[in-house]
Amino acid sequence: MQYSKALASLVLTVALVYALNRSWDFGKPIPPLAKFLDPFHGFWKNAETKGGPSENNMLAGLKEEISIVYDSTLVPHLYAKNEEDLFFAQGYITARYRLWQMEFQTHAAAGRIAEIIGANAIDFDRGQRRLGMVYAAQNSLVEMEKDSTAKMIAHRYSDGVNAYINSLSYEKLPLEYKLLNYWPEQWTPLKSGLLLKYMAKTLNIGDKDFEMTNALKLFGKETLEILYPDDEHVGDPIIDNPNGWKFKPITLDNVPPALPKDFAQIKQIEKSSSDVGSNNWAVSGSKTSTGSPILCNDPHLELNLPSIWYIIHLNAPGFNAMGASLPGAPAVISGFNDSIAWGETNAQRDLVDWFKIEFKDKSRNEYLSDGQWKATRKVIEKISAKDKADFYDTVIYTHHGPITYDESYHGDSEKNHYAFRWIAHDPSKELLTFYLLSKGKNHKDYMNALDHYTSPAQNFVFACVNGDIAMRIQGKYPVRRKNEGRFVLDGTKTSTEWQAFIPNDQNITYKNPGRGFVSSANQYPVDDSYPYYVTSTNFEAYRNRRINQLLSDWKSITPYDMMKLQADNFNLKASESLPGWLKMLDSAKLTNEEKMAFQKLKTWDFNNSISSEAASYYEAWLRSIYPMIWDEVFDSKILLPAPTSYVTIKLIKEKPELSFFDILSTPEKETAVDVVRKSFSEGVKEIEKWKQEKKKDPSWAQFKDSYIQHLARLEPFSYHVLHGGNGSIVDAHSKRNGPSWRMVVSLEKNGVKAWGVYPGGQSGNPGSPYYNNMIDVWTADRYLNMHFNASAEQMKPFALSSSTLKPQGK
Amino acid sequence: MKFIIQTLVTIAGCFIAQYFLPWWTMAIVAFAVGYYFNNTGFISFIVGFLGVGILWLGMAYYIDSTTQSIITEKVNRLFPVNIFVLMVIVGGLVGGFAALTGTLVKGKKLARY
Repeated sequence: MQYSKALASLVLTVALVYALNRSWDFGKPIPPLAKFLDPFHGFWKNAETKGGPSENNMLAGLKEEISIVYDSTLVPHLYAKNEEDLFFAQGYITARYRLWQMEFQTHAAAGRIAEIIGANAIDFDRGQRRLGMVYAAQNSLVEMEKDSTAKMIAHRYSDGVNAYINSLSYEKLPLEYKLLNYWPEQWTPLKSGLLLKYMAKTLNIGDKDFEMTNALKLFGKETLEILYPDDEHVGDPIIDNPNGWKFKPITLDNVPPALPKDFAQIKQIEKSSSDVGSNNWAVSGSKTSTGSPILCNDPHLELNLPSIWYIIHLNAPGFNAMGASLPGAPAVISGFNDSIAWGETNAQRDLVDWFKIEFKDKSRNEYLSDGQWKATRKVIEKISAKDKADFYDTVIYTHHGPITYDESYHGDSEKNHYAFRWIAHDPSKELLTFYLLSKGKNHKDYMNALDHYTSPAQNFVFACVNGDIAMRIQGKYPVRRKNEGRFVLDGTKTSTEWQAFIPNDQNITYKNPGRGFVSSANQYPVDDSYPYYVTSTNFEAYRNRRINQLLSDWKSITPYDMMKLQADNFNLKASESLPGWLKMLDSAKLTNEEKMAFQKLKTWDFNNSISSEAASYYEAWLRSIYPMIWDEVFDSKILLPAPTSYVTIKLIKEKPELSFFDILSTPEKETAVDVVRKSFSEGVKEIEKWKQEKKKDPSWAQFKDSYIQHLARLEPFSYHVLHGGNGSIVDAHSKRNGPSWRMVVSLEKNGVKAWGVYPGGQSGNPGSPYYNNMIDVWTADRYLNMHFNASAEQMKPFALSSSTLKPQGK
Repeated sequence: MKFIIQTLVTIAGCFIAQYFLPWWTMAIVAFAVGYYFNNTGFISFIVGFLGVGILWLGMAYYIDSTTQSIITEKVNRLFPVNIFVLMVIVGGLVGGFAALTGTLVKGKKLARY
């Protein structure tokens, strides 16, 4: 009896230990409770206090000692004695602060999220595999390995990350690993490639080819050009160089466009928000107070925590660069050195195409191309889902690329198969560009660095202490016939394929333009005399005009003025639409609430400031008018594209009788005026409803309710922020997207000065005071001084702490 | 008195084990203490529960107060119950059952001789 009691108690104890040492999934994932809650090794150990690390780490693989000085915001300044050690240290230090994020993002790129969060992510993972994300990263890895420099930086960075991973114990493991109960795997150069492809996906996948194909069928050519013009002809192109294109362009034979017969009814993979975009500009010394150029950059991306950016200063003999790096990739992406500064905005160009494929039979072993049957290549993708059986997906590759949509994935029927052609599938070595920019001394070095850059196409801004400023819209672009790329293509004919690419020396660029500045804000890239056809899913119509207006007007510009411009909240869209709309309202018939809204809107200064209530009313009006006008698009059973807000506003003004203004669900025949009135009432109702629910005044920041979200979507690790701005405003901070990094660089001859900030913190650990400490600085439109000092000694006055990395056994 | 000493020994033993080794080594310590202190099963369970519970609570409280609750506040919101309470229950149950097992195993041996 006693024996069995003891045995029962033993079994119970062992079972308890087992159950509390593993994770469970009861609808909600539960971490290994005892392991996680244990104050000796569990999550408590991730709690940190203010102050930087003072460590001496002995690491195998280093050649010489590296000094690291952390400044007051935990920005690391790395002083190495050679470049190989420098990139090793970049990998090591970045992993120290951002390892979980680096791995999570590259797992997301590779379609491996189900491994971490379970079966819910299988559909996302399949999409990533079917877009050929790993295929793309592998192709660029092969190219990287061929170049000794690119190979060195990718491998040394990888070695550094692994040195950190290998030093980890459960106690030191980042919090998210403890919570989701897994362990980091070894880093590889392929993962750096995956990260860059992830960025490429964010910046390229917003195409509307399927929707446009349907729209062409449904509305016809004439309406198509009214609703979805290639070029909205608004503002200045990024590069205005009429008749300056003195080269012989590549031309293609004319072939009649071949469009698929049926509507495409696929369920599309989630696209990036149209609020993803960026600003950059450089002002020549003739317009600045110091006589030296100033360069600015603010990339607008989804705002998450840990932030997409990590500020770093990399120093070694012959190398001294600082700025924003992407955790997971070596070198500096948007930054500066002793001589030059550079930054990027998305070029918006259409770099993806969909080819409709015809298979010979159900085996899908062969497909038609110019009358011949070509063999397919089948890749079996294994998706391991946490706590669930593995999922297998067969992805079929054609010479165009992988078949993304078919009857087993988001397709509409057995007949329709679409192969994906994407520029990021091509061999490339972007890392080399950022390495060369980091070391660049002048305009020639900048041009040379960009020659190695393929995708995603970017508007690279440049400025140099010698006074030069420049812009180059660099990428690998297919030569397109007019209208090619806007619609789904016929995959059975090679004549519709990408035949040639625009040579690098024919890409759009200029240096030191007469107006004294260069700028880009995702607008149409070039004047009409450029000989190649340019198309995109959308070009931004507002930010560029506001920026160019102010840069043209201002003289004797200071870095502080540039900060004000980055934080500029003037709503050009509202200033162009609102006065006309208000005139259309019949003020006699307004309700009391509507009269109040009318007054607020009428006296509005068009600034989307934190406290503006008019900005909220305008936004509510926009949100209401847009689906009311385009009910033909949004309520259609057929997949159709949404016209831009610029086109919408223009049509209200110029074509008020257009049939699209009729609201289909009502018996009356509405015109633009009716829609404007009706949507005003609805917008005001929305605000009233909001006021009742929230019991607050609808100030813009409250109404917008911006949110910076943790990558695993954990609410306690995420923040609501009160800030102005919106999409289409220079301060492009919408609910979820916004200036993910703000940089101002003054390229003065006696030393480059720079300021930067991003809405996050240098530490990726939610238990660190440096996890979110920059959010308030960013929200207040303030900046941090980038302490760009050439040696560890000079950094001493700004040091929070110092550490060293030493070669093991020396 | 024996109760208090047994509790203190559990706390000290578990502290040393956990300082160097994974969390579950505290179960082995609680088991051993339960085995050597000749108490009833019920008392042993209480001692194991309290010993580990107090140790964990003390450690966690120390970390929490020296880091201004920076992580406790966040992780607390991830769980439906207070994180300190949950931790004491989780650690305490393991400690308690391990100690109980120790006592019962010893009881079996005594009965044989």
